Amino acid sequence: MPSLFSRMTSLLLLMACGAALAALIGHTGVWPGIAVGALAWLVWDNWRARAFADWLHRIKDDPDTPPPRIDSLRREFSERIQRLLRKQGRETEELENRLHNLQSVLQASPNGVIILDEQECIEWCNRMACEHFGLDSRRDISQRITHLLRDPALTKCLAARDFEEAITLESPISTASRPLRLEVWLLPYEQGRLFMLSRDITAIEQAEAMRRDFIANVSHEIRTPLTVLAGFVETLQTLPLNDAERADMLHRMAQQAERMKNLVADLLTLSRLEDRAPPGMSEWIPVRSLLERIDTDARALAAHLAGQDTPKHELIFEGMDTSDEIAGSSSELQSAFFNLVNNAIRYTPPGGIVAIRWQIQTNGGARFSVRDSGPGIAPEHIPRLTERFYRVDSNRSRASGGTGLGLSIVKHVLQRHDAKLEIESTPLRGSCFTVTFPAERIRSG
Amino acid sequence: MNEKHLSSQFDSDLNSVCSQLMKMGGLVETQIQRAIKSLANFSVSEINDVLDSETLVDQMEMEIDRAITAVVARRQPAARDLRLLLAISKITSNLERAGDEAYKMGKRVKSLVESGETRQMPIGDLRVASDLAANLIHRALDAFARLDVTAAISIYKEDDLIDREFKGFTRKLITYMMEDPHTISSSLDLLFIAKAIERIGDHAKNISEFIIYIVHGMDVRHSKLKGIEAIVQSE
Repeated sequence: MPSLFSRMTSLLLLMACGAALAALIGHTGVWPGIAVGALAWLVWDNWRARAFADWLHRIKDDPDTPPPRIDSLRREFSERIQRLLRKQGRETEELENRLHNLQSVLQASPNGVIILDEQECIEWCNRMACEHFGLDSRRDISQRITHLLRDPALTKCLAARDFEEAITLESPISTASRPLRLEVWLLPYEQGRLFMLSRDITAIEQAEAMRRDFIANVSHEIRTPLTVLAGFVETLQTLPLNDAERADMLHRMAQQAERMKNLVADLLTLSRLEDRAPPGMSEWIPVRSLLERIDTDARALAAHLAGQDTPKHELIFEGMDTSDEIAGSSSELQSAFFNLVNNAIRYTPPGGIVAIRWQIQTNGGARFSVRDSGPGIAPEHIPRLTERFYRVDSNRSRASGGTGLGLSIVKHVLQRHDAKLEIESTPLRGSCFTVTFPAERIRSG
Repeated sequence: MNEKHLSSQFDSDLNSVCSQLMKMGGLVETQIQRAIKSLANFSVSEINDVLDSETLVDQMEMEIDRAITAVVARRQPAARDLRLLLAISKITSNLERAGDEAYKMGKRVKSLVESGETRQMPIGDLRVASDLAANLIHRALDAFARLDVTAAISIYKEDDLIDREFKGFTRKLITYMMEDPHTISSSLDLLFIAKAIERIGDHAKNISEFIIYIVHGMDVRHSKLKGIEAIVQSE
């Protein structure tokens, strides 16, 4: 009330001044003076109201604009308005922050997120969605989704508004060398708007395909010797054979049985390698003993393969007299190294050269390499060599007694020892398989 | 397509024609992709899909033309809207033909598979060209959706690549046929496939011409690339 009081006072004061002035001039009476005083107050008050309105106008842009020098009633107004505006400003800021946070969460999502309005236009999308669909998060806003993602499956779902199941589609930016398969979920929310989620399922589909291939391969590899065995058994049962024929047949049956046994053994080795924890750094094996055993086995194999009139393989060992030690599992490394040597000897025609070499590198790591003078491997096969059951030439490798799992085992063993396998090869010139061990696994003596 | 008209119904008419066109584009794109896949794997199941979707594409072409007629009759569009509608009409016929080419590819692949002489033929070269062509159609449709003239011009440039691939491939086929007359019938099939791929590239190029027409109101058909770039830049 004091503010109202001060307004009344100023009005009365002016009226009184008017009256006093009129009385001083003295021939019209006080009333016109009072009226003039009131009028003057009205003009003055109007001017103050104008200033206040101006301030109201300015405060919209900048809430901190100081109020004009005005009477206490309007000061009260201005203070309340200012307080309200500040509060609103804080609330807007908070909301904006919250929205920004929400968007950051969606941005960080490993899935692609697209928000569609009622017209199926893109309202917002995160970075992953841009990567998945080749969108541009600035240019493509308010573009209809079906104009950019034209996959018939998606168009059909949107037209039928059938959002029950996920759609699997090929990304628009997918190429033959870099395939990108996506699983897309459309989730409707309030009044026909849509929330679109996409997930990269390329790797999952590939893994699924590999699993199917693996089972098909294992079944095939086991069925082949079984069929042969069954055939021989049937022959033995039904046909009268002489001793020599019978012996020959039993010999071949034994070969097939051996093949199956090897296959099962390799499969078990692989599954053991996958299940067990990788070998630690506590057990140190002298490299020399590893290489010596490989030397013995390799020479035995070469002698076994060489016939009466075919020359033996020439085996060259380098770096045998080493006193280095390696951290890991002795049996695993033994089998990995021997697998490589075994491959080299079996694939190199008799009389060829197989060079086995152990070498310490300048960075403290070590290299084990097996170089042969065999037929070499065409470049398109090299990346796939360590896949299970991958065969460059299926007839040859089965004839030489391979199970198709050797290099898979090698790869697994080496992974467990933090080592890398590199394959270099030139067709007709020979191949070189190199294993590189990191420095922390090697202790030179 | 962004500026609003007084009549919002007009806007939604135009939008629905565009959406129909993009839907048709999506169909043709998958058709081409499938034709390419069937060529790469020699699988007949995909070919049948290609052959089946042909009638659907034809129907869509007619539907879109009917919709365009209706809009023109009712709204008497002018300027950019008129150009948009005219261009859509032409783009549909180009898309339909691109779909036809995919259909032809499918049929030829089928006859190749049935003849059984697929292994020795140089398919690898065709893969490159066919991926290029599919990519061009895809980008042409993207450029239409965004009315992106720069992208349209880049398509214009890349079509030459496919033409060059086609010429090289033809020469290669001739050497195959000269070396071994047994390969003539499958070589001819491959030649038709290569021609279809080359045509798909041309249709993508035509579509990109219409995008320039919509945006700049210039007819750039039958003009040289340099001229187009100069005109577009001066705008």
